[in-house]
Amino acid sequence: MTQQKRSKHINLSQMRKAFALKPLAVGVAGVLLSACTQRQDAQIYTNLDDCKDDYPDAPQRCEAAYQRAVDEAQRTAPRFGTESDCEYEFGDNRCQYVQTNSGSFFMPFMAGYMVSQLMSPNRYYSQPLYTSTSPYSSFRSRWVTADGYVFDGNIRKRNYRVRPDTLKTKPTVTRTMSRGGFGSSVRAKSSWGSSRSGWGG
Amino acid sequence: MFRLPCQPRNGWQQLATEFGFHFHTMYGEPYWDESAYYQFTLKQIEQDLEDPTAELHQMCLHVLDKVVSSEALMRRFCIPEPHWDLIRDSYLARDLSLYARLDLVYDGSGPAKLLENNADTPTSLYETGFWQWLWLQQQVDNGTLPRQSDQFNSLQEKLVNRFKDIAAHYHIDQMHFACCKDTDEDRGTVQYLQDCAATAGLTTDFVYIEDIGLSDNGLFTDLRDAPITDCFKLYPWEFMLREPFAEALSGAQVHWLEPSYKAILSNKALLPLLWREFKGHPNLLPAYFDNDTPDEREASAWIKKPVFSREGANISLIENGKESVLSDGPYGEEGFVLQGYQRLPRFEDNFTLIGSWLIGDEPAGISIREDSSQITQDLSRYLPHIIV
Repeated sequence: MTQQKRSKHINLSQMRKAFALKPLAVGVAGVLLSACTQRQDAQIYTNLDDCKDDYPDAPQRCEAAYQRAVDEAQRTAPRFGTESDCEYEFGDNRCQYVQTNSGSFFMPFMAGYMVSQLMSPNRYYSQPLYTSTSPYSSFRSRWVTADGYVFDGNIRKRNYRVRPDTLKTKPTVTRTMSRGGFGSSVRAKSSWGSSRSGWGG
Repeated sequence: MFRLPCQPRNGWQQLATEFGFHFHTMYGEPYWDESAYYQFTLKQIEQDLEDPTAELHQMCLHVLDKVVSSEALMRRFCIPEPHWDLIRDSYLARDLSLYARLDLVYDGSGPAKLLENNADTPTSLYETGFWQWLWLQQQVDNGTLPRQSDQFNSLQEKLVNRFKDIAAHYHIDQMHFACCKDTDEDRGTVQYLQDCAATAGLTTDFVYIEDIGLSDNGLFTDLRDAPITDCFKLYPWEFMLREPFAEALSGAQVHWLEPSYKAILSNKALLPLLWREFKGHPNLLPAYFDNDTPDEREASAWIKKPVFSREGANISLIENGKESVLSDGPYGEEGFVLQGYQRLPRFEDNFTLIGSWLIGDEPAGISIREDSSQITQDLSRYLPHIIV
């Protein structure tokens, strides 16, 4: 009796990566995680006015946050070669044709944007969100970021906070003193110009 | 073992984009090549590759045990003295390893020979565990390959299970994953491992190696100042042990994947030690330190390679006492080892090397790389395989 020598099953939908691996300027996981130590709320808006209603004294900040999300969407939105591929993931009429200097593609319309710490100049953050009406998509009626992070709850949920953290208690960090203490060997050795990019063997 | 031509799947490049396999072509050269595949019998796979892989791994662990308890050997392996305890402790604590890839020379008959053990930062994981698996499924489904075709490749299944074991062992539900900036290939590999870990129920966070921080209380941090307590790093220990943050390693108390004792298992000094301990073993090539005198009867020519090196750099061939340089590179300051020269088998105009994977301590599958050159695997191509 011979046994199969390969993996019996792989969930293909889980392996699909229409989303770029490039991290956003600020990842949404950043909001969620830093909130482990200092709780941080984030709101999702589907238009500019809802934001202005929340911040009647700071309409310009809402406009800036909206604009930042729009700009970010241009840069990071998932891209598809055909309209049908895009609509398969995001639903009928949810995609737009975009032409740039480097080529043309389809990408989903921004369906909302997430804002956090709007009034704080340093920690303020805004990014585009997408949702899907496609029955084939795991994002159907969910909020999803351009790097593929899917929020729990359906699209009616507009306020998010942090999950309480982990089984193992994490040590507390008060301050990072320095960065860049790993990785210098790569710079030193890469001047040699290997034809392969990685450091794997 | 045959190399057979094969019709590539229609539109596989588009499929690669959908699945996020972005490095199938590198530097304008094809890397993933499905215009042909290798075919094995089950007997070849199980007797000649799988069983020897398990055995070679145990032999390597035997050498590891010797090295950690010997100052002379730690020195021979060029482990910086301040980190001997770090490595010894990691070994004695039996820290779990995730994976390794043994490079084997095998032509379909006779014993496979161990070329080296990529125990610390092996790549070509995604294209092995997932992409060649998908290739087989689809080529069987569309009738190009016989229905009973199989593949020696349970990598993905075993990776997920291994992450479950690791999570249970360390009582964790979150891990960091790290690689260097500016490499699609490494980022893709790490993303694949994140996917496997997520399937195993872990929350994963990514940080670039260069962005790792050190906190006022001696912990490593990510860019959000969250502490790094459990971390997969696609970055070699021989680098980490020599960089500015090395002195913080023992205080930071991170469970690393791979664990620090991989600095020994991935070291080329392992090869002469294996030969010393298991001289004449059918799966080993004779090997010596370069300041030892090799037994000239054991090989007609010798390959000289640095104790630390990547991607076939700094390799020379020694034949009749004459040394000719085969590849340049930045390595070698830590010394060299000599290994009996074993030609790679030739299939048409290609020289073929087999990577045999371990997940934890279990053999889990193979990957096949071809190169037009006999020794340096510089611009090698990846080909899928089947078992019939």
